[in-house]
Order: sequence, then C-alpha cells, then structure tokens
Amino acid sequence: MKVTIELFGASRDFSNQDSIEIDIENNSTIKDVRDKMLGYLHSNFKGNENFIKIVNSSVFCSKDNIISDNYKITNHEKIAIIPPIGGG
Amino acid sequence: MLHTRVVDIKDKKLSIIDAEKFISSSDFGASIFFSGTVRNQNNDKSVTGITYDSHDALVIKSFKEIYNEADQKLKIKDKAVFIEHAKGFLNLGEISIIIAVACKHRDEAYVLSRYIIEEIKKRSPIWKKEHYQNNETDWLKGNPIQYEKN
Repeated sequence: MKVTIELFGASRDFSNQDSIEIDIENNSTIKDVRDKMLGYLHSNFKGNENFIKIVNSSVFCSKDNIISDNYKITNHEKIAIIPPIGGG
Repeated sequence: MLHTRVVDIKDKKLSIIDAEKFISSSDFGASIFFSGTVRNQNNDKSVTGITYDSHDALVIKSFKEIYNEADQKLKIKDKAVFIEHAKGFLNLGEISIIIAVACKHRDEAYVLSRYIIEEIKKRSPIWKKEHYQNNETDWLKGNPIQYEKN
C-alpha cells in the first residue's frame, strides 16, 4: 500500500515536491515508515548523515495529532514528518 | 478571549495595530506587546532574511493548548491573547511573531507573555531557513518535539 509523507522544515530538502510517496506493507507502523524513509535517503542521497539525523529526531503526525511509532498506517493515508522545531 | 492565526506573508504582514484592536478592553489594566523580528546576524553569519515554514493545523492547536494551560498552570483566568505567526520569506526587520496579552494587572501580563513565547519555542511546529549574504541557505537545527515514541 502507499503512504504520502508531507515534508516540513529541513525535511523539505528530501524532495523538490511538498511530499514523498512510499510503498509499505499492510499493517505497517510509523516505525516502518521511518525505516523506509531511511532507505529512501540511502538510495537518493547516498545516506546523507544530516538527513538521516533529521528522520531519526523527527516525530510524525496525522491531521493535527502527533502519532506514536506504533501507530498503524491505513492505505493512502497522508501523514507529515515533523523535524526538530524552532520558530518565533 | 483568544485570537490565533498563521499568516502567509504573501497575503498580509503582521500588524501590531491588529493586535491592539483585539486585546483592547477596559476590563484590563495591563497590556504587553511582544514581537519577534528578523535580525541580521546569527552564529557569526550575515543573515539577509528568513523563510518560515509551518504545519498550520498543529501550530494553531499548540497555541490553543498553551492558552488553555495558562488557566490551570498560571491561574490567569481573565485575559485577552492575540498570537499570530508569519510563514513565508521575511526580510530583515520584518515581524515574524506577535504575542499581545491583556490582563487585569501587570504581574500577570508579564508572566503570561513570557510563558506563551517560551512554550511556542518548545512546542509549535515552525521552522526557520536562514538566507545569507553569499546566497547560501540553512535550516536552523531546532529542538525535537518531546513525545513518547512507543
């Protein structure tokens, strides 16, 4: 199944688009999505260490809720990656 | 009484006048206006502007939570609060955030204003990309949102 990951902050450098779409197994969790994203970075950015740090230090959200690594993704669900923050 | 908004800088600039109109009331004897602006230096680099990015839904949710917490944690019941944050590219000196608070007394107003900006820094999903004189850019590192992963 597919999941769309909206990109924010430093993760916008992962793509020229506002989001990336990745294929995941049925019943995948956010932990699986995080692993898939690391694979995507290895394939597309030769394992850029800064990008890997961003993924490992980010949380994810669905609509306006932060979700845990055990959260199960549904097909075609849109989630967002929330890298470390610093507004104001 | 609360006003919150993430303002796309393409639509309008943040305005202290808007904030003053919202919090103005004879119920309150103390008002504090805080604005954050884009400065020209950071980490020994010459900054020419900042692009702000925002997850709008989460940002507005965090503003409301911070406001509601003020009731419980700070025991400040009677208040007017105006919070706007900009997103998009801002030039030097332009306003990125306005927090205006009005309370009955000055002690409450100072405490509330400081509480809101510090909590926004910790909890609201907003990011800064600095632009430098050599045309390079850099996303500022920031702090991870504290959340139990499992």
